[in-house]
Amino acid sequence: MLQVQNFSKRYGRIAALTDVSCSVREGEVLGLIGPNGSGKTTLFECMGGVLPLDGGALVRGGRPVTARDRAAMLFYLPDQIAPWPAQTVRWAIDFAIGFFDGRADLRRRVVEELDVAPLLDATIGSLSKGQRKRALLAIGLLMPHPLLLADEPFDGLDLRQSREVARTLRSYASAGRTMFLSIHQIRDAGRVCDRFVLLSGGRARGEGTIRELAAMAAARGTSAGDDLEEVFLALT
Amino acid sequence: MSFLWLLRKETRELIASRAWWVLLLAMGPLVGVTFISAVFTYAEASGLNGTTAGVGEAFSPLIGIWAPTFSACEVAAVFLLPFVAIRLVSGDRQSGALKIEAQHAMPSFARIGAKAIVLALAWIVASAPTAAAIALWKGYGGSIYPPEVATVALGHFLNAGLTIAIAAVAAAVSEHPSTAAILTLSVTVGTWILNFIAAVQGGVWERAAAYTPPAMVAAFQHGLIRLDVVLVAAILIAACLALSAVWLRIGVASRRRLRESALCGAVAAAAIFACAFVTPSWDASESRANSLPEADEAALARITGPLRIEAHLAPEDPRRVDLDHKAIAKLRRVMPRVEVRYVSATSIGLFEQTSAHYGEIWYELGGRREMSRATTAESLLETIYDLAGIRAPAESDEPVFRGHPLAVPPRGAAAVFYGVWPAVVAASALFARRRG
Repeated sequence: MLQVQNFSKRYGRIAALTDVSCSVREGEVLGLIGPNGSGKTTLFECMGGVLPLDGGALVRGGRPVTARDRAAMLFYLPDQIAPWPAQTVRWAIDFAIGFFDGRADLRRRVVEELDVAPLLDATIGSLSKGQRKRALLAIGLLMPHPLLLADEPFDGLDLRQSREVARTLRSYASAGRTMFLSIHQIRDAGRVCDRFVLLSGGRARGEGTIRELAAMAAARGTSAGDDLEEVFLALT
Repeated sequence: MSFLWLLRKETRELIASRAWWVLLLAMGPLVGVTFISAVFTYAEASGLNGTTAGVGEAFSPLIGIWAPTFSACEVAAVFLLPFVAIRLVSGDRQSGALKIEAQHAMPSFARIGAKAIVLALAWIVASAPTAAAIALWKGYGGSIYPPEVATVALGHFLNAGLTIAIAAVAAAVSEHPSTAAILTLSVTVGTWILNFIAAVQGGVWERAAAYTPPAMVAAFQHGLIRLDVVLVAAILIAACLALSAVWLRIGVASRRRLRESALCGAVAAAAIFACAFVTPSWDASESRANSLPEADEAALARITGPLRIEAHLAPEDPRRVDLDHKAIAKLRRVMPRVEVRYVSATSIGLFEQTSAHYGEIWYELGGRREMSRATTAESLLETIYDLAGIRAPAESDEPVFRGHPLAVPPRGAAAVFYGVWPAVVAASALFARRRG
């Protein structure tokens, strides 16, 4: 569906991304795994077109993706934002659907599945971190783009909510929506993702299913089994 | 459709901002103070409270009422409006909404355009107390000449547009709203400094200062619409909004944004330079305060050769101000090809008085030269007719503006501006808050 080719990004002397490449396949839930500061958010912001790249390209069908193509193809849901803080959740959802020509037909279902209904009349600025995360995920799922990039979709959620959100995300992926999720909690990632991209120190250390990654680890002489945490530690 | 959603969103964000309600609340008392004081002065000059009646017979409401009343808008545009504009532009960056909205394929200029439209409408709403002042004046039996009131309002609208555009570019360039506020106020203070330098140095500074917001507003307050000033203001507004659009494209590399900004600045500078040669202007004042008598204008229009004036007067010499504002400014409207050159060794001219040639004003037309020391429009016309070899037109029997004296105190104005207006604003704010 989409290839990230040799993404590089520096903040002054600090290299946030160095020659990062990976690919996103249609209909999958791809997890971007890495510790804090590994460059996950930078990679997503560059893919989402809200941060300029120093080098590399987003490619589709062998051709670089233009700004217009990107706007039609993917939606990036940033972490740690509180957009339109004075507006209610209800209005923010309506605005996002109206502005991006989103999926009004899914509105009720998404609101129910993410348990956003009790929050509809609250202003976004008054929500807790977890509540805000659910409201923003609702907006993300209602966007019309075939690919959703969500930065830390489980951050701020408790265990029960994390499981429910994971189930919801999987159900939309089963219906054909492609998702690329940045997750720093490896256990959460293992629950929801089909494949993984391991990022550490701004470099991609591996890409594939747990088995493929475990095989990579084994090839390096480390037996990690099917435990994603062990595989991650072995490859990074 | 997306643009309409954006307009709705910007409107809601405006209504949610405290800066907007502070602007609205302050406008009533600001306009009230200036209007009440202007009406009192006008009334006293017209004979109220035993003042010698007749002193104010040549009073024009344009100068006596509308210029001071609308000056409240200038204060609000400088000190309050920038914060409303900065809140609307910076708010998206601060909250992270910009990262979401920037992903839409809509051009960045359209996004900043939506904010500008909402802010312009917000300014019109905030100017409502001036409409109340007009209604009160009418109620007192005062004379209203719509073209001159519309001209003053247009001047302040353009000034507000400039403020909005400058604040928008400051907010787009800077990461934090407080930095944007400092940048915007720096530009305002910069124009004041430019005006000061122009008053002292004259020359190129003087020409540049004619396009600063205070000078622009001053021209409109005298009922003069200069096409070059309107065009320069429009170009500056468009350029600043374009710059804002460039810097709101957060996904574009800084170097490219710098290149685009430089191109934008160069195009704007070229357009502004071209506008300096645009000469049409319209005198919208009822008293024709910016024009020579019609018969003289007709006579001057027949003179084809270039007229050169060389005035040996320092920039701060009051005679130069007289000559420039009361004679040459009016002459330029009829004879765009007039070339004026000021000669002086100092800025104040105080120690040049002993120089034999100081104070001389030389006129040159068709190879003939003549000198005069008078700085009035009448003497200027007399000298030009002499040089051109044409007879001065006979005294015209066109009606002379006699003014509209009105010896009425500002009854009820204090209640409207200090009571009703703040109450309406407070009630609206509460209503908007409850409706969410």
